[in-house]
Amino acid sequence: MFSRRELLKSLSSGFGYLAFAGLAARAAAAANPTVPDGPLAPKAPHFAPRAKRVIFLCMRGGPSHVDTFDYKPKLTAKTGTPGIRAGTKLLGSKWNFAQHGQSGLSISELFPNVANHADDLCLLRSMQTDLPAHPQAFLQLHTGSFQFVRPSLGAWTLYGLGTENENLPGFVTLTPPAASGGAQNYGSSFLPAIYQGTRLGADNRPIAGAEIRNLASLVKPQTQRAELDLLQAMNHETLRRERSRPEVEGVIESFELAFRMQKEMPQVMDLSQESEATKSLYGLDNAATADFGRKCLLARRFAEVGVRFVEISHGDWDQHFNLTTALGANCRSVDQPIAGLLADLKQRGMLKDTLVIWGGEFGRTPHAQGGDGRDHNNKAFTMWMAGGGVKGGFAHGLTDDYGYEAVENKVHVHDLHATILHLLGLDHERLTYRYAGREFRLTDVHGNVVKEIMA
Amino acid sequence: MYRHLLLAAVLAATAIAQQSSPSARRSPEQIFEFLDKDKNGTLSEAEFGVLKDKMPTLQARPDGVSAKFKELDKDHNGVLTLEEFRPVMTQGSRRPAATPAPAAPGTPAPSATPSTPPPTRRRPTASPAPAATPKPAPPAAANQPAPTDGIAFFEKNIRPVLADKCYQCHAADAEKIKGGLVLDTREGIRRGGENGPAVVPGNLKASLLIEAIHYDNKDSAMPPKKAGGKLSDEVIRDFEKWVQMGAPDPREGTAKLAAKQDTSKAAKDWWAWQPPKKAPVPQVKDAAWPKSDIDRLLLAPLEAKGLKPVADAEKLTLLRRVFFDLTGLPPSTRDADAFMKDSSPDAFSKVVDRLLASPQFGEKWGRHWLDVARYAESTGKDINLAYPDAWRYRDYVIAAFNKDKPYNQFLREQLAGDLLPAGNDKQRAEQLVATGFLALGTKSVNQANARQFALDLADEQIDTVSQAFLGVTAACARCHDHKFDPIPQKDYYALAGIFLSTDTHYGTFFAAQNRSATELIELPRGAGAPVLPRVLTPQERGQKQAELDKLLKETNEMAEATFKPAAGANRNPKGQLALLFRMNQIGLLESELGSFGSDGKMRPLAMGVLDQPAHLKEGRTRGRSTPSYENSTPDQAIASRFLERDGRFARPPEFRVVNESPVFERGDVTKPGGKVPRGFLSVLTHQPPPAIPASSSGRRELADWMLADSNPLTARVMVNRVWQWMFGQGLVTSPDNFGTTGSLPSNQALLDTLAVKFREGGWSVKKLVREIALSRAYQLSSTFDETNFAADPENALVWRMSKRRLDAESIRDAALAISGQLDLRPPLGSPVAERGNGPIGQFKQFPGAGVPEDVLVESGARTNARSVYLPIAREMLPDALAVFDFAEPGFVTGNRETTNVPSQALFLLNSPFIATAAQKLGERLTAANSGAASLDQRVQLAYWLVLCRAPSETERQTALNFFANFPSGTSAGDVRPVSTAALAPTTAAWTSFCRVLLASADFRFLN
Repeated sequence: MFSRRELLKSLSSGFGYLAFAGLAARAAAAANPTVPDGPLAPKAPHFAPRAKRVIFLCMRGGPSHVDTFDYKPKLTAKTGTPGIRAGTKLLGSKWNFAQHGQSGLSISELFPNVANHADDLCLLRSMQTDLPAHPQAFLQLHTGSFQFVRPSLGAWTLYGLGTENENLPGFVTLTPPAASGGAQNYGSSFLPAIYQGTRLGADNRPIAGAEIRNLASLVKPQTQRAELDLLQAMNHETLRRERSRPEVEGVIESFELAFRMQKEMPQVMDLSQESEATKSLYGLDNAATADFGRKCLLARRFAEVGVRFVEISHGDWDQHFNLTTALGANCRSVDQPIAGLLADLKQRGMLKDTLVIWGGEFGRTPHAQGGDGRDHNNKAFTMWMAGGGVKGGFAHGLTDDYGYEAVENKVHVHDLHATILHLLGLDHERLTYRYAGREFRLTDVHGNVVKEIMA
Repeated sequence: MYRHLLLAAVLAATAIAQQSSPSARRSPEQIFEFLDKDKNGTLSEAEFGVLKDKMPTLQARPDGVSAKFKELDKDHNGVLTLEEFRPVMTQGSRRPAATPAPAAPGTPAPSATPSTPPPTRRRPTASPAPAATPKPAPPAAANQPAPTDGIAFFEKNIRPVLADKCYQCHAADAEKIKGGLVLDTREGIRRGGENGPAVVPGNLKASLLIEAIHYDNKDSAMPPKKAGGKLSDEVIRDFEKWVQMGAPDPREGTAKLAAKQDTSKAAKDWWAWQPPKKAPVPQVKDAAWPKSDIDRLLLAPLEAKGLKPVADAEKLTLLRRVFFDLTGLPPSTRDADAFMKDSSPDAFSKVVDRLLASPQFGEKWGRHWLDVARYAESTGKDINLAYPDAWRYRDYVIAAFNKDKPYNQFLREQLAGDLLPAGNDKQRAEQLVATGFLALGTKSVNQANARQFALDLADEQIDTVSQAFLGVTAACARCHDHKFDPIPQKDYYALAGIFLSTDTHYGTFFAAQNRSATELIELPRGAGAPVLPRVLTPQERGQKQAELDKLLKETNEMAEATFKPAAGANRNPKGQLALLFRMNQIGLLESELGSFGSDGKMRPLAMGVLDQPAHLKEGRTRGRSTPSYENSTPDQAIASRFLERDGRFARPPEFRVVNESPVFERGDVTKPGGKVPRGFLSVLTHQPPPAIPASSSGRRELADWMLADSNPLTARVMVNRVWQWMFGQGLVTSPDNFGTTGSLPSNQALLDTLAVKFREGGWSVKKLVREIALSRAYQLSSTFDETNFAADPENALVWRMSKRRLDAESIRDAALAISGQLDLRPPLGSPVAERGNGPIGQFKQFPGAGVPEDVLVESGARTNARSVYLPIAREMLPDALAVFDFAEPGFVTGNRETTNVPSQALFLLNSPFIATAAQKLGERLTAANSGAASLDQRVQLAYWLVLCRAPSETERQTALNFFANFPSGTSAGDVRPVSTAALAPTTAAWTSFCRVLLASADFRFLN
C-alpha cells in the first residue's frame, strides 16, 4: 500500500535526484509516477532567502530584559517606588548599561563580550507572548500554540527547506528541557516524522558525552561491514526477485544513510580537531563557560556541515529571587560562548547567511519580587537576532519607561515566526501542510513579517 | 491555508495566460488550452505540473503537484479533463474574508493586529440627510446588459481605475482579500463585502464604493494611501456617473469570493452525507473467480476497466499475511507445517477462525482502536502529568475485540457507558471504564482560565468523537461555520452543550502547575476490578497522614499570613517558592493516600465521565473571600491558589450543571452569544433525532443518533477502518475524514454494501474480518502487473494485495516471538500505573514522584510482554515503537505514517533490543534441540522462523559465504556486549546473521 505520498516520506530515491528542470524530465515523471527527490532534499524557498540556516540560543525561564538589553534609566531612578501591581516596588537594574559599537546600542555590563558585537545585533525590544506562564509561553515560542499539539519551528523549517546534508539530521536540538512541553518543542506533530528534531543530551546535564540514540555500533567495524554487506545483498536479491519495489530501495538507502550518519555524526561532534584558540574563543577553557561554549561550538560545526536548524537550550533564567547572583552567573556562562560563536561565524564567512537568535519565552517585571527578584512578564521582553540578513546595530520596538509593556512596533511570537521564515525565504502564509481536512501553518491565522529589521 | 494553494493556482494560471496575452484575464478554457501542450484535450500530470513553476506553493510540499493533480482527477484515470480542471479556477474563490480570521480560541489576538481600517463600512445610520433620498434605479439596468456605450464608458474610465487601485486587495487573486470584497467581477462588485453592496446600480447613496472614494468617512476611505490615496475629483465624478448609468459592467464570472450558499449547496450533496444503500450484486464476466459478494463488487469495476486481478497468493505468503493481520505475530514453524499439510478446502478458514478466537486478536485489533482513541497514559501538553489508571481503558478495548462486543454496544459504552443500565457490578464497571475514551485526551492542566479549560476539554472530546466515529472534522466549526463541510457553528455548540454537561474524571493531582485536577471514578466493589498488588499498612497510613496534616497546617499558616495586614506587601519570595513546593507535596500525598482504600488495598479507580447534575449544587469554594487575583500581591495570589484549591479554579458554575451552551463568537470564551439547544450535526440527521432530556447530558442520545439506521456515516466509517486494517488502505483513504476535503471512496458500492450488512448483521467486527479474510481479494498475491499498475498505480481497485510494512508493534513482537522471548501473559497495569500520580519524567519540584524517562523510553527492551502493553506516555514514547511510526497520541490517528528513516536502520543495527533478539535467535538455532544440525539446516531454519519461507539457492549460498568469511579473531565481535559474557566466535557469527535477517526488508514487509 505504498502510495506515492508515502513513498515521498521514505528516503527512497528509486528514480530520485533526477533533475526535473526540463520538459523531458517532466515527461519521464508522468510516465513513471515516482518521486522527484526525497523529503529531506534541499527545496527551493518561496523567494530569495537571506538566511540559509538557523542557530537558536534558547534561554529557558524568561531572561530579564531590563537587566540586559532594554535600558531603562527611569526605572533605576524610581527604584523603590510603587509598581503597577498592588504592593509591588520598582526595582532598577543593578547593572550599568553603556553604549557600544558604531551603533551605540545600550547593553548591560552583564554581556561584556556580546556587547563587542553590538553592531551585529538586531534587538527586538518589543516582544510579546500570550501568557506569563512558562509551559504555555515556551510551547508557543516553539510551536506557535500551547492549546494544540503542533509542529515545531524547526520542523516547519526542515519541511520547507529540506537539509543540505542528508547524512545528518536536518534539525538538531541540544539539551532541550523535558518539561514545558518536552518533545513537542522539537516535535513534528502531524508533519512527517522525518522533520522532527533530533535531541542531543538532556536539560541540566552536560553536553559532553551526550549521544544520539542507537548511533554507536555494538560490534567492531569489520563485523558491522560484514553484516551490512550481507544485508544489502539480501535486499538486492529481494529487489531482483520482485519488480517495482521502491520501498525496498528505500530500505537499502536508509541503511546506507544510517551507516554514513554513524560515521559522520561522531566526527561532527568530535571537537578534538578544533584549535586551542578556537576552543578558548568559545570559553571551553573556563569552567563557567565550558558547557555552553561546547554547545555553541557544536552548533557552529553542525551549521557548517549543512544542518538546517540548530537549537541550544540554556536554563534556568527564572529569577524570582537571587537575581543578582543567578542572573549574573547565567550571563557569565553564556556571554563568552555567544560572542565566540558570533566571531567564529563571522570569520568563517558564515554569519551573513546564518540567522542567530537569542531569547527566552518571556521577560520579567520591572517591579521586584522580594528584594532581589523579578516575576514573569509576557507583555515585554527582548530577543535579538544576528547575521542572516538582519540589520546589525539596530533596535526595533520600544517598551514603556519601565519595561512593563511593549508600546511601539510590538512583535508577537507569531510575528517572530513569520519573520524567521521570511528570512529563510519562506512565506509563512504559504508554508502549509494539509492535515485533518485543512491546511495548517506555523502562524495559524496570525503573524506579520517585521520588515523593518531586514538588512 | 489550503485555499492559498488554490488561490495560487488561479494566480499562476492567470499569469501563464498572461504570458501569451498580457492584457487579458483568461478563462479556465483558455488556461486549459494553454497547458494542454500536446493538444489532446486532456492534461497529463506533466502538463499540469507546468503550473508548479508559477506556483511556489505547490512546491512547498514535495508532492504538491501530485497531490493536487490526484485530487482533481476525480475518475483516477491519470489525466484531467477540462471539467476536472475547472475547479482549480472556481475553488480558488473560496478564500476567506479578509477580516482577521478567528483567533485560536482563548489565544488573545496578537497585539500586532493590522491596524488598517476595514475598507468599507456601512455609513453611520445617524446621518441620513432627508434630501438624499436616492433616485430609483433604472429598472432594467441592474441585471440586463447595459448599452454598449455604457460598457465602453466602463472600459475606458472605470475598469482601469479598479484594476490599478483596487484589485491588489479586492480581486480573487489578491494576496489578501480585504473586507470580503472583490471588485473584479460584476457579481462581486454588486454583492459587495461584509458591509454590503459596493455598487447599487443607479443608487449613489447605497453604493458604499462611492462613499469610500469620497474620503468622507476616514474609516472607509479608499483607495488607501499606499495605493495613491484619494482619487482625483474627475475620476470620482466618472464613478458617480457610471453608477447613475446603472453601473454597466461586462465582467462575467461568478464572484471569486463565492457566496456561502453556493458552496454549501454542493457540499450538501456530498456522497458521505447520504445514507448508504446495499448495491445490487453485479454481474461479472469471470463468474468463476469470485468467492463472495465482496469479490463480485471488486471484480466488476476491474472488468469495466479491462483489468484482471493477479494470481492468488502462495499458501505460506497467505499464512504469514493472515497471522500478522489478525494477531500481529508470525506463524510458528508448526503452524506453517500444519497449514501446508492441510489440503482440505476449508484449511484457510480454519486458520482464520483459530486466529479470531485467540486472545492475540484483541491485542492486535484493540491497538488499532487505541490509535483512533488517541490512547495515552499522560496529559501531554504543557505540564505532562501521568494518567496512572488509563490502562483500564486499554484492557477494556482489548477485551471488547476479543469477545467481539458488537460495535454499536462498543460505541455506546464509550460515549455513555455511565448512563446505560447494568445488570451487575461487573457490567457497570466495564461500562464506566469504557467512558475513559472521553477522558484520556490531551489537556492543558495549567490553564488559568477555567472557562477556557472547560471549553477546550469539550472541544477535544468533540474532535475525537466526531473523527473517530463519524469521520467528520466537527471541531473545525468551533470558531466559525465549517469552511468546507455543511457544519454550522451552532451545530458545534449543540454538541458542545452535550459535553459541557458532562463531568470528565481524568484524575491527576493538585499541584502548583495543575489547576485542573479531578477525582477519578471508583469502580463498584462487586466488580472485582483488578488493582495493583500494593498495600498501605495502617502504620504507613498514619505516618503519611501525619506528614500531610503537618504540611497542611504549616502551609495554611504561611498562606493566611500573606493576608494579614502586618504581613507587608511583598514577603520573602523564597516563601512563595516554598508555598509552591509544598503545594506539590500536599497534592502528591493526598493523591497517594487517596489511592488506597480503608482496607489498605488500592482502590479500583478509573478514568471516565459522568453527567453533571441536573441542578446546580452549592459552589465548592471554602467560603473564603480573598482579593481577586488581579489586585493581590504576588504572594497573595499564590496563597489564594492554595487556600481556594477546591473552588477557585473549578469549572465555572454554568458548566457544573446540565446546560445548553452559548455560541461563542469566533470561539472566544469571553464572547458568549445566544444559547443553542443540545443536539447533533444537522447534515447527518435524516430522521427526527432522539430528544435530549433536560436532566441528562445527551450522550446516550448522541450514541442513539449515531447508531440510527439513517445515520450515513457510523457504519461506513467503521467498515472502512476494518477494510484498511486488512488491506492497508481504506476504500476511503482518509479514514478520519469523510467530509468534502476527504477522499472519495474507491468503491462506494462495496463500502455501502458492507456498511449496511455490518449494521444489519449485528455490528460484529469478527464476522466482518472473517468475511474479508475469506474473500478471494484478500487472498490475492502482491505481484506486480504492468498493465494493472499503469491503470491503477495506487491499487485502489484492489487488483492485488498491496505490500505493507509491518507496524511498530508487529516488528517488536515478532522479533521477540522468533527469538523465543515473547511473554504472552498480559501484564497487570502499566509502568505508569506503578509510579502513581506524578509528572512524566522526574523533576526536582516533585520529589520522589514521576515516571523516569528510561522506564518509558527503554521499555521496549525491558519487558518481553506484547507491545500493546508498553507504557504510552505522551512525548515519551517507547523508542522501539516510536522509530517505526507509532501513532501520535495527541490526536485521532486512523492512518499511521510509513517512513523509512535512518533512525530505523540505526535501531535495527545498533539497539540492544535487536542485539538481544538476534543473540537469542542464534542460540535457538544452534541449540541441540533445534532439530537443525548442520550450518545449512540452521540457515534454512532461520529463514523459516524469520521470513516464513525457505531461502532461495542464491540466498542460501550468500548465507553460507557469510559464515565462511565471517571476520575471524572477532571472538565476541562486540565492542559493547549486551550481556556481560563475551560471545563465542560461532555465537557472534550467528548473532550477526540473525541481526541481518531481522533488519532485512523481507522481514519488515508483508507480501
